[in-house]
Amino acid sequence: MKIIVAKKILKANDQLAEENRARFNQANVLVVNLLGSPGCGKTTLLEALLAKLDGRAAPAVIEGDLASSIDAERIEKLGVPVVQINTDGACHLDATMVAAACAEIDLDKIDLLIIENVGNLVCTAGFDLGEHLRIVILSVSEGDDKVPKYPTIFHKSDALVVTKTDLLPYSNFSVDRVITDMNRLAPKARILQISALTGEGVETLADWLANQCRRDGG
Amino acid sequence: MHELSIVDAMIKQVEREVRESGHDGHVVHLDIVIGRLSGVNVDSVRFAFDLLSPDTLLEQSDLRITESKAVCLCEACESRTEIDDFVAACPACGSEKITFEGGQDLFLDSIELVD
Ligand SMILES: Nc1nc2c(ncn2[C@@H]2O[C@H](COP(=O)(O)OP(=O)(O)OP(=O)(O)O)[C@@H](O)[C@H]2O)c(=O)[nH]1
Ligand SMILES: [Mg+2]
Ligand SMILES: [Zn+2]
Repeated sequence: MKIIVAKKILKANDQLAEENRARFNQANVLVVNLLGSPGCGKTTLLEALLAKLDGRAAPAVIEGDLASSIDAERIEKLGVPVVQINTDGACHLDATMVAAACAEIDLDKIDLLIIENVGNLVCTAGFDLGEHLRIVILSVSEGDDKVPKYPTIFHKSDALVVTKTDLLPYSNFSVDRVITDMNRLAPKARILQISALTGEGVETLADWLANQCRRDGG
Repeated sequence: MHELSIVDAMIKQVEREVRESGHDGHVVHLDIVIGRLSGVNVDSVRFAFDLLSPDTLLEQSDLRITESKAVCLCEACESRTEIDDFVAACPACGSEKITFEGGQDLFLDSIELVD
């Protein structure tokens, strides 16, 4: 006999992601899923961003890594509530892990939750965590050809941050090429250029997120 | 290899569907749909399936994968071209003013059990 299912695979993850999102909405928390390859500068950007919020949003952070609590310790130093998830080898976070981590965070006390996903430009794309915004980071040192080479993640992102722009004078990286490629894959995505090292452009990202917190938070 | 977690979730989902249907027979055929632009690799799915299906209701099942197509929309020549992968330019006229539609599917279509 044949059973017609016609349901999404990862339905379990998607359902839990929707539950996460409902909880976040209820608590008026804007949730960002921060994606990018290992070492692209996710934590450094996060540190710079948190410093620039200037009380406009009450943030918390979830750090996803295969192992260690190195990144969580960096965030903790800034006095921001942080939970470290260790995936024990899994190459991406999923909605279950985020739900578990949220049990450690008082959602009523924050209005911005940033989730630093596992450093990976491929596997993280398919897993909805319950976020409102997906921001993908591409650093200058990775090269300007990455958008068409890892299209899925860029296609599914709401914003692209080109980071380490302080390195532009020392490389042949073409920001125009990245913008052209990104406009094709995700025409509605916002594109920002930032150097977390010099602080250039961080303000724009901080303003953008802080404004959305207020709007979504009503 | 996110395909491993995807296939793991899929096997659990199939076993649940079978249980909920009130049957407990072995799965003979399994039909799934994977979009061309979903970022899920068909070969990796097959590999993960061979790895994870033993000792489940899906052991030795025939996994049939349909790859759903995607379309490239061109602003310049207004054509709609079916594509197998993300492309950098319109296959019809070469313009880079293009966007993509579809090909994001990842779903379980049907399960066939032994009678
Ligand atoms: N020049 C320059 N270096 C940067 C910048 N941002 C980060 N880096 C350096 O890049 C390296 C990696 O930065 P991280 O922030 O740890 O990268 P990550 O993406 O969090 O790495 P994982 O969590 O391991 O995936 C560090 O040595 C940073 O100092 C930047 O804007 N400019
Ligand atoms: Mg990090
Ligand atoms: Zn065309």
